[in-house]
Amino acid sequence: MKKISFFYLIVALIISACASQKNASTSLSLATVNENDVEVSVHLESNADGEYFISATFTPPDGYHMYSKDIPITGVDGLGRPTLLELTSESNMKPLGRLIESVSAEVPNFEPKELLVYPPGAVTLRLPVELPSGNDWVDDFVKITFMACSDRGCKAPVTGKLVPVHIPGVDLFAGE
Amino acid sequence: MNKKVLIVLLPVVLLACNFLFPQQEPPAQQAVPTIRYGEANNPETLQEAESNGFTIVRIHPGDIDVQVMLATEAQKAISTGLIPVVEFDATWCPPCQAIDEAIESRNKLMMDAYQGTYIIKLDVDEWGWGVGDFKVEAIPIYFKVDADGKQTGEVIDGGAWGDNIPENMAPPMDKFFHGG
Repeated sequence: MKKISFFYLIVALIISACASQKNASTSLSLATVNENDVEVSVHLESNADGEYFISATFTPPDGYHMYSKDIPITGVDGLGRPTLLELTSESNMKPLGRLIESVSAEVPNFEPKELLVYPPGAVTLRLPVELPSGNDWVDDFVKITFMACSDRGCKAPVTGKLVPVHIPGVDLFAGE
Repeated sequence: MNKKVLIVLLPVVLLACNFLFPQQEPPAQQAVPTIRYGEANNPETLQEAESNGFTIVRIHPGDIDVQVMLATEAQKAISTGLIPVVEFDATWCPPCQAIDEAIESRNKLMMDAYQGTYIIKLDVDEWGWGVGDFKVEAIPIYFKVDADGKQTGEVIDGGAWGDNIPENMAPPMDKFFHGG
């Protein structure tokens, strides 16, 4: 009897592990670009709640920081540039909310104080999206904006760079 | 004394007072230098050595080869006893603007550090990140140049001072410009 109980316990554990695996968040690499020494990797992610996100991780060189997503597109008094991940107006995806940042921006220790910066290192932005319907792959673009600075100086800003991505339809991605 | 005499005397006394105790002219305000970005002049003189003890000019791309422009400016510097230095900057670069603001506001530390220099500014948005034999990876960056406008090999960038405040920037700049 004990042996049978133990067998059922093991089977239950395996089934539950498989089920949680199916519901776990998944990530699909869509593109990686390197511009002005900042590497940007774009992913399509889903979470356990079945929500989809386009994400971009901006990795500047050592000691460099990025600027907050919330500063103006032309900077604060012309200084700095925001870190942004956007869909194009013709995109097959639809934004379902605002950008979510992986780390909070901070008030800098220099003027102007409104020029919020992320701590040195990588920052990931996630945009909740609705994927195109269907079971096919779709060609699309995402738009990225960023600028990296450090105590040593600044790299050139990149504004509205279009990154080509290949997007799976929602049924295809959900089935993976 | 009757009133008529008083009326006649009063303007005379006031006039005399004006001559005897002339009102001091308010001290002429030192002109606050302004850093302008434009293309009317090439080179554009931003700061004059006469009033500051240093000169800042900005050169813009034109028909003349950049190396000729740099050599011309370097020779002007040397002929007036100033140290020629090439600086790369941009309007969107916070550290670059912090330096400009410190100079514009006549911060004493920065004014002292810049003494005897002839700064030739190039905006990377106009010139790009590789001009002649200058390879620029981040801005601001300063290169000492010789009479031909060529690099001497002495370079300083923001890594030398950390946070962009005059107290941090001026000492390493002073040392870079003047040695010691």
